[in-house]
Amino acid sequence: MKRVLIYIDEAAVPDSVDLLEAARRMYGSGRFQSYALALGGDCGDAVGLFDVVVQPRAGTVPDYDAAAIAYYADSLHRRFGFDAVLVPATPFGRTVAPRTAIRLGAGLVADVTEVRSQGDEVLMVRPAFSGRMLATVTCRGDGPVMMSVRPRTFFYREREARTTELIALDLDYPGDSGIRLLDRRDRNGGKDIRDSAVLVAGGGGALRDFSQLEQLARALRGMVAASRKAVDHGAAPRSVQVGQSGKNVGPRLYFAVGISGSSQHAAGLKNADCIIAVNTDRQAPICSMADLVVEGDSRSFLTGLLTRLDAHKQDNQGG
Amino acid sequence: MRILCLLKLVGDVDNLRYDPERNILVRDDGRLMLNPEDAVAAATALALKQDFPDMHIEAVSMGPLGARPHLEDLVRRGLDRATLISDPRYAGSDTWATSAILGRFLQTQVFDCVFCGTHTLDGGTAQVPAQVAELLGLPYLGGISALDGSSLAEGRLRVDVEEDAAVLRFAVALPAILGFQFDPKRKLPYIRYEDLNRDVADRISVIGNDQLGLDQEEIGLRGSRTQVKSLEAEAFYHKDTLRVGNDPEGIETVFRFLETRGFLAP
Repeated sequence: MKRVLIYIDEAAVPDSVDLLEAARRMYGSGRFQSYALALGGDCGDAVGLFDVVVQPRAGTVPDYDAAAIAYYADSLHRRFGFDAVLVPATPFGRTVAPRTAIRLGAGLVADVTEVRSQGDEVLMVRPAFSGRMLATVTCRGDGPVMMSVRPRTFFYREREARTTELIALDLDYPGDSGIRLLDRRDRNGGKDIRDSAVLVAGGGGALRDFSQLEQLARALRGMVAASRKAVDHGAAPRSVQVGQSGKNVGPRLYFAVGISGSSQHAAGLKNADCIIAVNTDRQAPICSMADLVVEGDSRSFLTGLLTRLDAHKQDNQGG
Repeated sequence: MRILCLLKLVGDVDNLRYDPERNILVRDDGRLMLNPEDAVAAATALALKQDFPDMHIEAVSMGPLGARPHLEDLVRRGLDRATLISDPRYAGSDTWATSAILGRFLQTQVFDCVFCGTHTLDGGTAQVPAQVAELLGLPYLGGISALDGSSLAEGRLRVDVEEDAAVLRFAVALPAILGFQFDPKRKLPYIRYEDLNRDVADRISVIGNDQLGLDQEEIGLRGSRTQVKSLEAEAFYHKDTLRVGNDPEGIETVFRFLETRGFLAP
């Protein structure tokens, strides 16, 4: 029986629990024991889906202390001897995973989007060269298989119920991480583009059109998203960036306005149901991914479509 | 106060092109560019130097010798020194081996803080800074959007980390490794006209494994703990694409498309 440790990021509990699917694909249903390391009080569905949930005593470690979490993961590994350690590649998980890898002496394969096993070997697939290529990677050495997994690439639909054993980890982190949280200001309007059914995204060809993109998004009850180029130019915040260095999205409709569709961007788009691309370059890669392509300038297209939608609205209200 | 800027020169990914017929990546030119978030880190350090003129800022980069002109350029922009860690024996190092090499170098240095970018444009996995921090037993924070320079003298640096849902303010005990996020407003200063051709050769060191002395088993492919088994071009989508022009007819097609699929408010 294989043993798999999954770190539960308090800020992304469902995404973390979904890593059970990655474990299932590696070892097969019922052929591994699942351990969750959860710091926060609320670990969502982990209780009921994992075989074991390990929680440090309340208040022993701040939830932003990646060094302490790496220490806990290492102590658990010494006790249980994991075959694989999985961490969600969330902003915080991206600090936890490398620190844990060093502790465990394991090579870390980051941002994994696909896993399978071949004989005794676990093969992990991750984007390389800015998402232009897919690299199949294995871990070497004596440590466990160690990976960070891109959120929302695996969905644990099997949801096989478990009788979960709860273990309270009675262990004090001996070090001092040297980091103290002084203040936390929540940002309003924090709706996540990954939860929106419609995304209207702008790229390098639409840098000055974001107010119109916003209007179109409102008309379609969706949200505005952006490519890396648009974010780097300051046209949109990083939180709405789609792609390998941004977010994986899976909307019903993705409007790509002035986006060339580099594979870096396309990497985040695989789960989109349908894509409408607006581009002046008919050879742009996005055009071969789209269901519908409008060849032309984004500004005049947006003006035209918004006028048409407005007329439709007037018609509806009028009659 | 000594700040080391850990910088990576990356291939200019916007100029990479995939050739599906030959199934290779075409680098239209072999150009390297400073990783954008690393440039933010260096720019932040240089901005601090305005307030703390005694501050010493040194760039550290691991990579091919082709990175040297970029480091010279940074010195002309105001950094005090630069070290290029370059050795053919390091070729093929994964992030594990790279972290070991950088960690070994940093162990030989005296510093108050290491500044770097959080992600690189090419790998984008944000592994190396956190791995180096763990090796050296230092605090590490990534995704930093702002830094309070006035806290520098206190031995604890106040920084802001901007996340989707919140802005977090932390105090970090020094020495520490700090990873910055991209900020289009934070740019490297221009090179002053009189410095354009300044000879800065005496401010650049190039070192390799003869100086760092890592074991053969720790570096390159042999020192790596991950192994790339295969590399393939991502399968491109091929849909039955409908193409229209940007004219009233095209706009009507888009409108009908939205309407028939239920995207319009009833």
